[in-house]
Amino acid sequence: MNEDVESKLRDALRPVEPRAEFSRKLLARTLSTQAAPSKKPKVSRGAARPLVGWFSASLAACLLVAVGIQQQLHQQRLRATGLEARREVEQALRVTSQKLNLAFEAIKSQSTAPSDEKSGV
Amino acid sequence: MDAAPDYLDAKLAQARSGERSALTALVQAHQRSVYSLALRMLGTRDLAEDLTQDVFMHMSANLGAIASNTHLRFWLRRVTSNRAIDQLRHRSRLPMSSFEDQSELFSAEDPADPLLQRHLRALLAHLSPPARAVLLLRYQEDLDPMDIARTLDMPINTVKSHLKRSLQIMREEATRMPSEPCQDSST
Repeated sequence: MNEDVESKLRDALRPVEPRAEFSRKLLARTLSTQAAPSKKPKVSRGAARPLVGWFSASLAACLLVAVGIQQQLHQQRLRATGLEARREVEQALRVTSQKLNLAFEAIKSQSTAPSDEKSGV
Repeated sequence: MDAAPDYLDAKLAQARSGERSALTALVQAHQRSVYSLALRMLGTRDLAEDLTQDVFMHMSANLGAIASNTHLRFWLRRVTSNRAIDQLRHRSRLPMSSFEDQSELFSAEDPADPLLQRHLRALLAHLSPPARAVLLLRYQEDLDPMDIARTLDMPINTVKSHLKRSLQIMREEATRMPSEPCQDSST
């Protein structure tokens, strides 16, 4: 009895086909909501990683070169300023030395002149 | 009836990578089962078509989470059954009379047996939504009680008692209405 009822149920409850028109609509709607192909993002993400790496490496290299050049220029300017100052100090010392020599000679000639006059009178 | 599992596994992988023809093949392979389950759970073609559409759109958006065609079949049955049960629970009064209008609810293998169809309508109308899902998964989808329990996330003993009760109602209907088809045929 049970088996008879069960087989009748199986027969009666076989899956039925939806309407053809509904099948078409179902396909159209399902395809329209299909997630965007996962290929593109994966490929672009994969390709973007080396690009980003190269870009950041070249950017870092450019920054290092720029900082190096800047430091070299700064040191050159400092060296030039130092040399100029040294030249000016040497010049000043030379001038001062000449002036002192002149003064010494004048004092020396003045100190010798009166003794000659005294001895001559 | 069903396409080879390997073929559908390959189609699933292609559909996951965005191939439209593969998704078409998956929908065509499974729409009959989903639609029949929805139709017999909800009782009307319009509601069944809406539910079928919802289920496949949800499937399309979640293909990445589905591992194989076997998993997809399990997933479709589970989502369809659960959504149908939810709809029936949220509707205060299911229009049970609508079962009467839907001759397409049942397969047309034996059109000369209106008594069987009458018994089935009565049976479906008697059953609670979970019991109806259990009956359909058993006799439409040919699942064993253990698979039904997993699909509906229900204890195995509850599945068995639903099946026992359904068969009992079916037998009662069979003994109650032996003469009615004659009255029907005369009207």
